[in-house]
Amino acid sequence: MRTRSIGLSLFATAAIVVAACTGGGTPAPATPAPVTPAPVTPAPATPEPKVWKIGVVTDVGTLDDKNFNQFSWEGAQKGAAAIGGEATAIVTVASADYDKNVQSFVDQKFDIIVTIGFALADATAKAAKLNPTVQFIGVDQAPCLTGAGDPDPTFTDCSGDMATLLPNFQGLVFAEQEPGYLAGIAAASITTKKVIGAIGGAAFIPPVVRYIKGYINGAHSVDPTIQVKVAYVSDDLGKAFNDPAGGKAFATQFIQQNGVDVLFQVAGKTGNGVLAAACDANIYGVGVDVDQHESTPETAKCTVTSAEKKLSIAVEQAIMRVGDGSAKGGIIGNDAKNDGIGLSKYYEFESMFSSDAQAKIQAAFDGFKAGTTDPCAPANCTDPFE
Amino acid sequence: MDALVMFLYDIPLLGLLFQFGGYVISILPTTGPIFLFAAAPIALGSLCGLMNERSGIVNIGIEGMMLTSAFVSAYAASLMVASGATVGGDAPFGASTPLIVGVLAAMIAGMLVSSLHAWLTITIRTDQIISGTIINITALGLTSYLNQILSKASPPNAGTFQPFIVPADIVELPVIGWFINAILNQRPITLSIIVLVIAMQILLFRSRWGLRTRAVGEHPKAAETVGIDVIRLRYRNVILGGIFAGLAGASLALESAGSFQNNMTVGRGFIALAALIFGRWTPLGAFGAAILFTASEALERSIRFVPPPGQLGEIMIGIPLQVYGALPYLITIVVLAGFVGRSTAPAAVGQPYERERRH
Repeated sequence: MRTRSIGLSLFATAAIVVAACTGGGTPAPATPAPVTPAPVTPAPATPEPKVWKIGVVTDVGTLDDKNFNQFSWEGAQKGAAAIGGEATAIVTVASADYDKNVQSFVDQKFDIIVTIGFALADATAKAAKLNPTVQFIGVDQAPCLTGAGDPDPTFTDCSGDMATLLPNFQGLVFAEQEPGYLAGIAAASITTKKVIGAIGGAAFIPPVVRYIKGYINGAHSVDPTIQVKVAYVSDDLGKAFNDPAGGKAFATQFIQQNGVDVLFQVAGKTGNGVLAAACDANIYGVGVDVDQHESTPETAKCTVTSAEKKLSIAVEQAIMRVGDGSAKGGIIGNDAKNDGIGLSKYYEFESMFSSDAQAKIQAAFDGFKAGTTDPCAPANCTDPFE
Repeated sequence: MDALVMFLYDIPLLGLLFQFGGYVISILPTTGPIFLFAAAPIALGSLCGLMNERSGIVNIGIEGMMLTSAFVSAYAASLMVASGATVGGDAPFGASTPLIVGVLAAMIAGMLVSSLHAWLTITIRTDQIISGTIINITALGLTSYLNQILSKASPPNAGTFQPFIVPADIVELPVIGWFINAILNQRPITLSIIVLVIAMQILLFRSRWGLRTRAVGEHPKAAETVGIDVIRLRYRNVILGGIFAGLAGASLALESAGSFQNNMTVGRGFIALAALIFGRWTPLGAFGAAILFTASEALERSIRFVPPPGQLGEIMIGIPLQVYGALPYLITIVVLAGFVGRSTAPAAVGQPYERERRH
């Protein structure tokens, strides 16, 4: 125990030291070579151009996880390149370190601090309130604020308006129903039994429900007679999102008893077991959040596409808004209008999607942009059991 | 025949029972293989607990042992793939070298963690609950931490074992076909559980080793007086018990997910303990309890996916679904409280054994 905590502290300290030492130079190691221009030594006469210091605090995990951390980090690097700055990352080792890691960037006088994942929402809101001159960007974060602007982790008093209380905090959220809708069209285009399925982690997590309701509407937009079977794994968050073995048993039974031939997973790591069950049953799976054909190679052989949040684009644009001074605080929605969502590549399954199907997917995407397609109709996006 | 069924179904109240029976029979063929598969890691965990508790050592560290083994098996298999071993192939169960190495590594990992438990509880004589708790906390922290470091390199994947496919002729046999399919349409570790449970039942109650183990668990002093080396036997049993926890971990990593996830056991080690208690510290009982737990989950899912028709369906959907999932654990509490039969732990469980010194 003791050895471990010493090891952890050492690692965390090392991470901070690395961050501190590299603050003005290159980002943390083990990352793709960033395209940061070397700081230009200014000629004495001209005023020094501002070099933005952009700090990225990841969620627990790694920087190259082919998931939230990696794509947000890529966006931060692109944003840095676009506005003339340098991005530096701290990889969080334990969730207890969120505040500490954010603070270390504040202490080093960083201009923009990007935090990745909904778990960091409260730490980011706290720091944003204490440091009004620093710009904060939270990926997948919509914190609940009290009237005083403090985060309320219990979600009881959410009377605070983020835009006015924390004008320096952009909370990036995503319209999950839109990629869900696109996934629904894709699933409806390849089903032969006219029965498709979706498995969500927990019914009380709104983004999960939005994905699935979009999926239902998308499928029905292709063919209203298609049956969409939906089930939620559990109300226990561990079983709902972190239990691949349980997800596999759940999905195996779901596939057998419902007879689906395409299955969309919205259940995190439990969903990796759902995809495994789909592969074992020789049916097709649809991934979620990121391109799962890449992020979970063990089930790539049956993952035809994924309903994706384009994290890289969302982060890049948020940084650019800070750069040109147009950034406003509050919940910032990302959707088709800013290419913040989409469907992943089809890889070896490309030939399964007819040009007609691909045209329908493109048309829906354009419809979201134009505001003519409503992914939350006819089935609404709020009530999981409607 | 149909007329008889309809007659039975229409009897007031009692008819519901028949309808329920009919529904269970109708879903068993599809759900049977699934709940046996889900029960395997729990039953294996119970066997680990059994080896400990029957020789007088409390083990609440099964969860941590399973998690460690799952971690080791997944990365050992990855390492083999990375070093050039072939994946796939036509071997039975899709058993490639990396997968077999993964299982062996898991068994060794289980034994190593168990050795720690044995040393702490038998030699150091620490509180056995504390030792188990330490194992659980350390395993969760250490595996999650190492997983973060190791997953950086995107280790290659070894895939999973494949189930044995029962010939259609056998599956279609009337009455017993589904049962044979449920047992045999499984991956190798799940298949082995049947053999292990029966073997353990016989060994524990019909062999010299079993008699000695039970004696040590009930009354170590008496056992020592008749010449049994209590310390040695406890060490041996606790360490061998780790093999079962290892297999449970390997089953989670290499039969289900194909990779390791932080905290992927999600409490199965504790469910295994509940099954052991529910099964009154016997291998068959614990296995039955594990089956009951996972079967009631399967029933809950069935009611959601294909609800029974008619009056029974209305009633069953009306009951909150969580009740079905919670039912086996409620029964466990009832059993523990002694309302239904007696479930008594081995008498010496939890007490460190100290040899009497010669005066």
